[in-house]
Amino acid sequence: MRRPGLSLGAVLFVAASVALAPLLAQFRRSWPWRVTVEGHSMEPTLRAGDWLLVDPLAYGRRTPQVGELIVARDPRLPARWLVKRVAAVDRQGRLTLAGDHPSHRQDDLPAVERQFVVGRPWLRYWPPGRIGRLT
Amino acid sequence: MIERIRVALAPRQTVHAHCDIPCGVYDPQQARIEAESCYKIIQKYHDSNDEVFRARAIHVKEERAELTKHHIDVMWHDYFKPEHVEKFPDLHEVCWKAAKQASQVKRTVDLDEAQKLLDLIDKIDHMWRETGGAQTTRMQQLQAVG
Repeated sequence: MRRPGLSLGAVLFVAASVALAPLLAQFRRSWPWRVTVEGHSMEPTLRAGDWLLVDPLAYGRRTPQVGELIVARDPRLPARWLVKRVAAVDRQGRLTLAGDHPSHRQDDLPAVERQFVVGRPWLRYWPPGRIGRLT
Repeated sequence: MIERIRVALAPRQTVHAHCDIPCGVYDPQQARIEAESCYKIIQKYHDSNDEVFRARAIHVKEERAELTKHHIDVMWHDYFKPEHVEKFPDLHEVCWKAAKQASQVKRTVDLDEAQKLLDLIDKIDHMWRETGGAQTTRMQQLQAVG
């Protein structure tokens, strides 16, 4: 007779929970930070109307790296949030941001201070046809 | 049902991905192409008996209609200037009706509604050409295409 608690199902369940725990935690902390994209400067990566989850802790302990997606407050108007890609990081950790769209690359944004960083958009959850992780 | 799910999932914030240097390229053809998609999709919808295809057609049509509305709005907000309104006093009326008509096309499979949308976009196109839009907002080598 099998001992209860050691069935293959239980082992698989525990293994799956352990494997998925970080993803679920990221999902849970990002859920209140769901945003919609407006504008075209991030095409083809992001399209206007895309719904994204932003991880508010992703850049808490480390400096964003060149090439990573980022949501940050607009230094000229902090109430406004921008979604861009990190184009450069200077020694003080200030970020230069730019769009992905080939004709919108030469952005004229002032450098963004670390405290203006909101988080990292990591998942597109709408539209259903284009759900997936973002890089 | 779908609408209820959408409301529950709806984002709380807008993040902006605008060009910080406005590119200055405006052309009602962008709206026209999306509106033509709506028209053709509605035709295909009526020609088909396949329920799955018809469901997909509606889904795509709604997306295209939303894009049409966006492109109309960009013309209205970003291209047209006060002096253009002096030249065409019904400019606001036409753009407003066109944006409304795009919403109408979003919610119907009536081909006549899609045709009305195309006609309104052609009116915007006329105003764009008459105000020099083709010369000032498109690059030289592309003019022949428009």
